[in-house]
This record gives sequence, C-alpha cells and structure tokens, in this order.
Amino acid sequence: MAAALRLRGKGLSVSVVEREDYLGGILIQCIHNGFGLHRFRADLTGPEYASRFIGPLLEAGVDVHLDATVISIAAETDGTRAVTVCSSRCGVLRLEARAVVLAMGCRERNRGNIGIAGTRPAGVFTAGLAQRLVNIEGCLPGRRAVIVGSGDIGLIMARRLTLAGCEVLCVVEIQPYPSGIVRNIVQCLNDFSIPLHLGHVVTRIRGRERVEGVDVAPLAGGAPDAGRGFRLDCDTVLLSVGLVPENEISARAGVRINRATGGPYVDADHQTSVDGIYACGNVLHVHDLVDYVTEEAEACGDSVARRLGGAAAGSAQQRVAPGANVRYVVPNSWVPGRSNGFFLRSLVVKNDAELVVSIDGREAVSRRLSHVQPSEMIRLSLEAGELPAAREGQGNLMEVGIR
Amino acid sequence: MSEAEARLVCIACPKGCLLTVRKAASGTASAAASGTASAMVVEGNRCPKGEVYGREELIAPRRTVTASMRTDCGDHPCVPVRTDRPLARGMVRDLLRELYAGRVKLPVRLGDAVVRDWRGTGVCVVATRTLPPDQVPPVRQAGPEAEGDDQVPAAQ
Repeated sequence: MAAALRLRGKGLSVSVVEREDYLGGILIQCIHNGFGLHRFRADLTGPEYASRFIGPLLEAGVDVHLDATVISIAAETDGTRAVTVCSSRCGVLRLEARAVVLAMGCRERNRGNIGIAGTRPAGVFTAGLAQRLVNIEGCLPGRRAVIVGSGDIGLIMARRLTLAGCEVLCVVEIQPYPSGIVRNIVQCLNDFSIPLHLGHVVTRIRGRERVEGVDVAPLAGGAPDAGRGFRLDCDTVLLSVGLVPENEISARAGVRINRATGGPYVDADHQTSVDGIYACGNVLHVHDLVDYVTEEAEACGDSVARRLGGAAAGSAQQRVAPGANVRYVVPNSWVPGRSNGFFLRSLVVKNDAELVVSIDGREAVSRRLSHVQPSEMIRLSLEAGELPAAREGQGNLMEVGIR
Repeated sequence: MSEAEARLVCIACPKGCLLTVRKAASGTASAAASGTASAMVVEGNRCPKGEVYGREELIAPRRTVTASMRTDCGDHPCVPVRTDRPLARGMVRDLLRELYAGRVKLPVRLGDAVVRDWRGTGVCVVATRTLPPDQVPPVRQAGPEAEGDDQVPAAQ
C-alpha cells in the first residue's frame, strides 16, 4: 500500500492485487500494539497501522483487486509485463504494466520443513495460522499448548493464547539464545511466567487423532540428549520456526533469488534481476518492524516512479556484499555521489560492536552499535559525503561488516 | 517494593533498554522533585519514556490490553479492540475475561468505544478496525482487448 500510494502520488496509475478479501495483509491479524513507534510516533495495533494506509489508498484512485491471486508475470515484446490474475470476483484478468512491485510477504516454515518425528495428529499449527484463527475467526486452536520456536510470532502467540484462556506450558527454542526481540521475551513470557527452554528441541509429537503430548530434549553436542529429555502433556503444538519470503511467482518470472535472504537480489532502486520487476517488504527480506517495511516500500515506489519517468539506471551502481559477521545486506548495489540506505542482519550476538563499511577493502565508515543480535535488523543510512567517489576501473565493492 | 534496586527491560518501544531502578536517597534533589509517590531513580533509559516506565513498573505497573471480541456476524466473526490507555496490571485478567465473553454489534468504526470507563477506572475499550471494511471502489473498465476470441471480461 505504501509503494502504491507513492506511485499514485507521482501521477502514475496503479493496481493492487490482494489474495485476501480485505486490505492490510498480515497486520490485520496482528491485533497487539507496538506498531508505528518510529513511523507515526504512536503505539498502534496492527489493524490501526494498516488503516493509516487503507483510507488514503481507497481515496487515491488506486485499482484494488481483492480475492485475486497472481498466477504469472510474463514479459511482453513491447517491454511491458503481463500479470495474469485469477479472481473469484471476475474470473481471469490480464493486467498490462510498465512495472511490477513484488510485495507478497512471507509464508511460514512448517512441521514438514523441520521434520519433527512422531505421529501426525490434528492440533499442530504454525503460529501465524493460530493467530489468524484466534484473532480473525474467533476460534481457539486448543487448550494446552507447547510452542516451538522463540521468534516474535511464537512469543506473541504465547501471550495471546494465555490471554484468551489457554494454558501455554512452555516455549522450546533450539538456539542457546531467544530469536525474538527482548521486549517480547519480557512482555509475553516473563509477564505470564511461561518457561523458555533454550537449547532444546521437540523430538516427537504423540497422539492418535489429536495431539496428546510432546517429547522435549536438550541439545548436547548438537544432537538431542534423550536421556535428559522430558514429556509434556498437551493438545496443541504451535510452530514458530521461521518465515520464508513468498517468491514462487518471482522465481518463475526469472527473478534471481538471494539464498541469504530468501528474497530477490535487488539494486539500489529495488529492481530485481528482471527489468521492470521490483521488490520490497517481507518478500525481499524478513523484517522485524513494520515501520521499516513502510520505509523500504516508499523508497521502492519512489525509485519505480523515477525509472518510469526516464531516469538513468544501472551504470552508476556498484556492488554491495555482506562482510565479516554479517548475514546479508539489502539492497545489493550502492550509488556513489548520493545517500544510500541499507538494512542488514548480524550473524553474531555482541555488545559494544562496531559496524564497518569498506570500499575495495579500505575502511570508509565506522559506527558504534551498543548491541547486535541476529534477530534485530540493523538500519544503516550513509550520506553522500561519507563515502568516497567511484574510482575509474576499480570494483568499488562495498562490504558491510561487524566486529 | 522492598528491594534496594531492580533491573528490568523497558517495553515502551522495541529497543528494550535495560533499566536499573532504585529508591532515591531522601534529601536528594530527585526525592524532593518527584514527591512522595515516585522517589525513584531510573538509569539505563535512552529516552524519557523509559524513565516513566521504570518508575511506574515498580510502583503501579500498567498494561495496554488488546483482544478481540465476538460479533455474531458470519462474515466478520471478530473485531479487534484495545484499551485507550494502560490499565493497572492486576485488573487485566478480569477485563480480558469480560472482553472475550462479550459481544459487539456491527457495524463499528475504528476508534468507536465498545466499553466506556470500565469499572470506574476511566479506561475505555475501543475498536481498532472498521467492520465491515470500507468498500473497495469498482475497478475501472479494462482497456480495449487487442487479441482474438477469448475475451477477458472487464473487471467488475
């Protein structure tokens, strides 16, 4: 919506294709507060944050297709993109576009992806699905739950299930540190005295027709130590074990995917490896804060408008790569002579760290970071003057590292 | 509160500053300035909200409550709601029990109060979503179809 509003504001005609029968995406089921602290200086719930864009979108003259699914994006001979859409409201549509912005968000990793052994009873849900059931459909997934994964969604659901009257026995986390932000550990687990078992895994799900219990074991030397394991009686298992950017359509359209992010490689204009296809938000890389999703989407919308308006593109752009202790940096190109903004993630947990930006191996910028951890995305803003001018005949490769 | 010092994580924003909160020594400027109710010294906060949170959390902790309420409407079974200001932490469970058992009649607009001045606390519960959602305007007619027989119907 943020990208669409920026494009519409520049006078371009915009269509939004949405698979649900409502606007707002995942925010609509995120009924807790904590959104918009940066963007709006307000403490909003997900639906309230979404409403800040829905109202303006409906008034801006943007074409909105609800209950509609894109099934392919193809290149036309005249350089436009043909987007084929299936919709229960109007059958099959073909939209012809000069540019396509991918903003499909993520899907969740499930039991099959992580291979939890045992029987296959009813009562195993991904945390996001459980959230939808509770907050949109008004159903409880069960009565006694064990949550696998201490990512933010798992933590939020630990609290939500408790508030809704369920018993949450514990959260089981494979890493020796929690995945979610500290704030959620405090207000979702500590507030409700829900135990967090770090360095543990669920080794088995038991039950015939319905979940009856799980086996949990600590990791020793990287493998489950069954001797020190224990059994928990429960009727529900929630899995919060990772988000995967939803890039089926992107890959089929020929977009190159970055394995470190699960999303497309993009240049400084957020354009993917396919001309005319851009990406922003969770489909590009998994964000922590919706405020940053909006910021990225608006930068993307502005870039699309600039490029469609005839601005020159590629030759000025130089490569960006993750340096030491950095999992990924987005975008994957930088432009000398102007300000550049990036999002990145650390591979390590560290206090009093230093973020270092090098160009062709020479340090250019250094910033102090009081605390870094993989689950907290870092926003990096570099002014034009902070970076050296492009050197003729050199790679001008930018590396962003942490030490 | 009887501890000399408490360590807690501020939850006012996602940064999660680690706070240290202790009683101000009597006779000091902070004890005099803050008066009887809040002679506390908060350290570790990176903004003023942390100072307020640290003090309140130890004296009278409060929480913003969010929940969803049933509507008895098949198309939109739930409406998400929130308290318009934080509520005393000890009363949260009771409020939730009432909210999850209560009903809201649609239509409702974002910001409408569904509960006013709950138990005299001054806290109201408001809807955080407009239901049914505002209508999406019909899409403009599709352009002239350039190709042959399988005409794509114009969007409704």
